[in-house]
This record gives sequence, structure tokens and C-alpha cells, in this order.
Amino acid sequence: MKTKLNLNTENVTLDIKPSEIKVVKAIDLEIMQEEEKIESEFLKRPKSNPFKTPEYYFDTLEDRIMANIQYQDKKKTKPSGIIQYMKPVLGLAASFALVYLLVYYPINTFLLKDTAQVASTDSTETDWSEAYSVTLSNISENTLVNAIFSEESNAVTEANPDELLAYLSSGMNDIEIYSEIQN
Amino acid sequence: MYPNVLRMTTDQQILDSLKDASTRELAFRYLVSKYKERLYWHIRKIVMNHDDTDDVLQNTFIKIWNGMDSFRGDSSLFTWLYRIATNESITFLNQRKRKSLSSLTEETQYLADNLEGDEYFDGDEWQILLQKAIATLPEKQRLVFNMKYFDEIKYEDMSAILETSVGALKASYHHAVRKVEDFIRMNEDKIEP
Repeated sequence: MKTKLNLNTENVTLDIKPSEIKVVKAIDLEIMQEEEKIESEFLKRPKSNPFKTPEYYFDTLEDRIMANIQYQDKKKTKPSGIIQYMKPVLGLAASFALVYLLVYYPINTFLLKDTAQVASTDSTETDWSEAYSVTLSNISENTLVNAIFSEESNAVTEANPDELLAYLSSGMNDIEIYSEIQN
Repeated sequence: MYPNVLRMTTDQQILDSLKDASTRELAFRYLVSKYKERLYWHIRKIVMNHDDTDDVLQNTFIKIWNGMDSFRGDSSLFTWLYRIATNESITFLNQRKRKSLSSLTEETQYLADNLEGDEYFDGDEWQILLQKAIATLPEKQRLVFNMKYFDEIKYEDMSAILETSVGALKASYHHAVRKVEDFIRMNEDKIEP
């Protein structure tokens, strides 16, 4: 016991105060005494390993671990879960966008003038509010601006008074037209 | 078996080979080969059951593989590997505890059941009693007891693995042995002579 204590004392650096050395000695002494007591009373039996492993377990362990690591690495390189989850939805959205670009947009763009012309010439049979809303929904701002300031639209401002009167009276009944004329 | 890494006899040589992308995988395989058994038995004594040990060991090596770049060499490779294995084992037991167990008594019962239900346990009655006694210990004391009593790891190394002072480890071991001794004394009469 004394030998062990002397060894511990030799390991103490000069920075430690003498009062602290006493504390260290006391703790070590107590622990070592307890350990010796324990060794003598309890741990005399020979140690043996009661646990087993399946046959050849360690022989195949490296292969299984490396395969597992490769699998984990592959999983890491795949896109994240949310993108994988959203993939069908994104595909569907892309298809709609493609159809819109290839079919719907050209039809609207190229047939817009025809629609407008039909609407202006066939004013007696056209539901104006419906035509107005349909046209507005299909016309972009630029198209609208061009239409307003184009020569064709200027021609409308030079229309003769009879046509204007017919246009203005299209939504009136006979009584209203009569009162307007009288005024 | 490892033609390109035959020179990897020391941990430092393994670490050097792990840094090179061309030898990384082979070096890791060598590392697994070198430490698989020691880590297995360390984990096995904590979680007790073979199947659970296999799961924890796999996770441990995956963590080691993923964390290789973060190993700075402040501690020895052996210490670092043991620390990861210990943390994985404790995490595993805590997950089990959160799922179904709430107290130390239940955890002890779980570990004891785990032991008796494990076809890869071949101990006699005294060894079963010893393992049951170890299972009654609080987590830290159980770790210290296993590492000191079975693995005979030095307190200095244990201190680096568990990040605890040597004095505290000695005290833990002392308390652990006393509790194991008491448990065995109280239950020894149940063992048939």
C-alpha cells in the first residue's frame, strides 16, 4: 500500500499546494483500500464469457457492414423525400404547361383577331357582356394596348352616326329610344 | 485478403489510408476487421442480446464511416471508436426506454428478459445471476463495471472514452462492485448447488 501511495506522490506536480496533496492521497487510499477489499471478497471467480454469436458471424461481418454503408451512401445521393414525393405532381404540372404552350396559347394568339372581328360584325346576335369577358380574359395587356391604338380601332372612331346610334340603342327598348330621340 | 493495405499495421497507417479516396474503402474494411470483435463484445455487454448488438454495431460502423473526416486525432482511434460504440449503445437503450420502459426496474427487467430470451447466451446459473446483478446497476456504473471487470480497460483509457475523471470512474466501479456483490449475496441461495 505504501509503495502505491509513494508512486502517486511522485506524479504530483509542484504547482499543487501541500494541503491539496493530502486530499488526493486520502481519496486514492480510500479507493484502493476498497478495491483490495472487493478483490478479496468478491471477484475471485474465474472470468468467462457466457455470450455466444451465431456460427461464422464475424466471418461475414465486414461484407455486411460494407454493403450497408454502400446502401446508405446511395440513399444519400438520391433526391430528398419531399422531391421524390412531389415528383408525380410536378410531372403532371409540367405536362399541363406543355399542352398550354403548344396548343392553348397558339390557338388563343392566332384566333384572337378572328374572334374579335366576328364579335364586331355580328353585333346584333352577340351577347356583348359575354364577348367582352371572354375577350378580356384571353387578351394580354400588350395586345389590348395595340388594339386600342391601332389604325383599325381609329377607324371605329370615324364610324358614321347611324352606326353609332345603332350601337348605343342596342341595349334600349323602344320607349327609351323614343325618349332619347325626342331629347 | 487485403493486398493493397498489407502495410496498414498501425492505426495511424489506417487513418492515412482513409484520407486517400482511392484506398478509403479498403482501409475502412481493414479497420472493421481489426476492431469488429472488440466493439461487438463491448456493445454486447451493454445491450446483452445478440440481435440488438448486431444492429448497434452496424450503426456504429456507419457512424464511424460518416464521421471519419471529423476525427481530428485528439484521442487515439481506439478511444474514438469505443466512444461511438458506447454512445450508440446508450442511444439504443434510451430509445427502447422511451418506447416501452419508464423506470430503472423496468429497464433491468428488460435486460434480464433479453438475456434469458437470447439463444446466444450460454452461461451457467452463476453467470446468469452475475448478468442480472449487472443489469440492476445504473447506466454509468454498468458501463464502468463491464469495461473494468470484463474488458480490463485502464482507467485512463476509460476516462477518455467516457469523458469522466479517473477518480469518478474508480468511485463508480467501487459502488458497482458493492451493488453486484449485495445482489449476488441476496440471490445466491436460489442457485442450485
